[in-house]
Amino acid sequence: MMISGGGGRSSWSSSTSSWVPTTSVSASGKRIQREMVELNNDPPPDSSAGPKGDNLYHWIATIIGTPGTPYQGGIFFLDIKFPSDYPFKPPQVVFKTRIYHCNVDPDGLVSMGILKDDWSPALTITKVLLAVRSILTNPDPYNAVVPGIAHLYLGDRAKHDDIAAEWTVRFAK
Amino acid sequence: MESDAFKDANQQQEIFEPFDCCVCLDLLYKPIVLSCGHISCFWCVHRSMSGLCESHCPICRHPYYHFPTICQMLHFLLLKIYPDAYKRREKQTLEEEEKMGDFSPQFDAYTGGSQVVFDQLGRSLGHAIKSPVSNSCNLESFKYMEKSGSATLKGNEGMTVYSEHTSSRTPEVIGIPDDGKKLHQNKHNRKQKILIADVTCSMCKQLLFHPVVLNCGHVYCETCIINISEVMLKCQVCQSAHPGGLPKVCLALDNFLEEQFPEEYAQRRNAIQLNQIKVKPEAETTSCSLRNGEGEKKTWPSDPRCKVHYGVGCDFCGMYPITGNRYKCLDCKEKIGFDLCGDCYKTRSKLQGRFNQQHTPEHRFGLVPLNLTARRQLNEQESPESFVIIADDPSMTDAEDDQSDSEITN
Repeated sequence: MMISGGGGRSSWSSSTSSWVPTTSVSASGKRIQREMVELNNDPPPDSSAGPKGDNLYHWIATIIGTPGTPYQGGIFFLDIKFPSDYPFKPPQVVFKTRIYHCNVDPDGLVSMGILKDDWSPALTITKVLLAVRSILTNPDPYNAVVPGIAHLYLGDRAKHDDIAAEWTVRFAK
Repeated sequence: MESDAFKDANQQQEIFEPFDCCVCLDLLYKPIVLSCGHISCFWCVHRSMSGLCESHCPICRHPYYHFPTICQMLHFLLLKIYPDAYKRREKQTLEEEEKMGDFSPQFDAYTGGSQVVFDQLGRSLGHAIKSPVSNSCNLESFKYMEKSGSATLKGNEGMTVYSEHTSSRTPEVIGIPDDGKKLHQNKHNRKQKILIADVTCSMCKQLLFHPVVLNCGHVYCETCIINISEVMLKCQVCQSAHPGGLPKVCLALDNFLEEQFPEEYAQRRNAIQLNQIKVKPEAETTSCSLRNGEGEKKTWPSDPRCKVHYGVGCDFCGMYPITGNRYKCLDCKEKIGFDLCGDCYKTRSKLQGRFNQQHTPEHRFGLVPLNLTARRQLNEQESPESFVIIADDPSMTDAEDDQSDSEITN
């Protein structure tokens, strides 16, 4: 018989979901470390990410708004939280900088397929950041979490872009 | 912490391509090749699988329903190519397993003693004695091969060596095979040359060309396996059926072979291409994913009334979750339990489990009734959030045994 969804996590997730000592870094910690090194060696364009303080499971990332979009020139801060059973469960990505976007809920939580059911353990933070950058360029109004913004995006794209640009100037610069 | 982490990670930042695991981003350990040809570690595959519905390859999202057996050929190949890194992974994994209380198959434990014999003699004997006729499957076949190999050598002694090692594989005495490991280490400390004998097809005994790995972990040339004209693809070594259609070529291994043995590989290619001219139309369909998909779908009933034992896998064929009848071993003490699906129960499969359970053919089985609340639970677990809560439940490890009966209803 096999355990539903797998084993490892439960041995230590109960004691700590945040701080994990370096001496016995779990499988998820090792994987996050590897991603960190990979990010340092080969940083993705216009974005950066790294642990916030000394907690491997809590990162901070920045994305620079892509030129040619209403988010152009804005610097967006994101919070990334890794679950204790990462990479078998997706990380949580939250915009700390306010952003006018139909796939980002009022609390900043990014809603994307790959951060939910379509998550694959082969995805890395580099790829997640790439995906976040791509929804800034191409929002997905059909899977929106803020229907109002999605309607505006589909109905009156110019107005949507104006508001998004205004928010960018107001909050992200 | 950060600097430590960096140091630690930098130390390990060797390049293992093409043999790095896409899930843990480290060197593959106890590699499993999925039917789509992508490789992952034993535990990485297991943890990636869904206990509720079909699982998907982390890389290509190809659906699959069976937890494949570790590919031992690849395991020993990696041990040869990266002796030190593989040892490090072994140690790491063992530590994690000790924490978890569940163990992966420990064929390393007896590697030191008998495996060497097997490697050097058993395999060459393999040609002489033909492939051993055993009714076993999966890992067992390997042991049987080993048995037959050493039995030919030293008669009954081979058997005793084997059983000794079996007893030392209980989780409690996991440290015992140390002598074996040391022996093993000496054997492998120096980087060894990869021989063609390490990467041969189970069928044609030549260098693998376009290798495909079956659910039982045995490796064949793609061209060898398509010549098996049976309704259900069966492993020629262990006779276990391969669920789903033809597996796809394991490209990582294929590329490695082409680089490692350019001349021999080219020879094999030429030889096979000559043969293929005759059967070209059939050969063309081999890499097509269509057949694969069709075969797999048959094993997963879309009928909602179908019996699905969520979170329980068959320890023989690897079906996970079990659909249809579920038979649970009443005598296995391991908390992970030992279960069989209806088909495997009917056939001869009363062998050891995939998690190093000490199952023996004498053990009794009981039919486990379907837990209806588990099904209701499926819908609630559809949302990832609630699933996380269940997965994070610290009581999980204690109750895995009755996973589908109680845990899922938490």
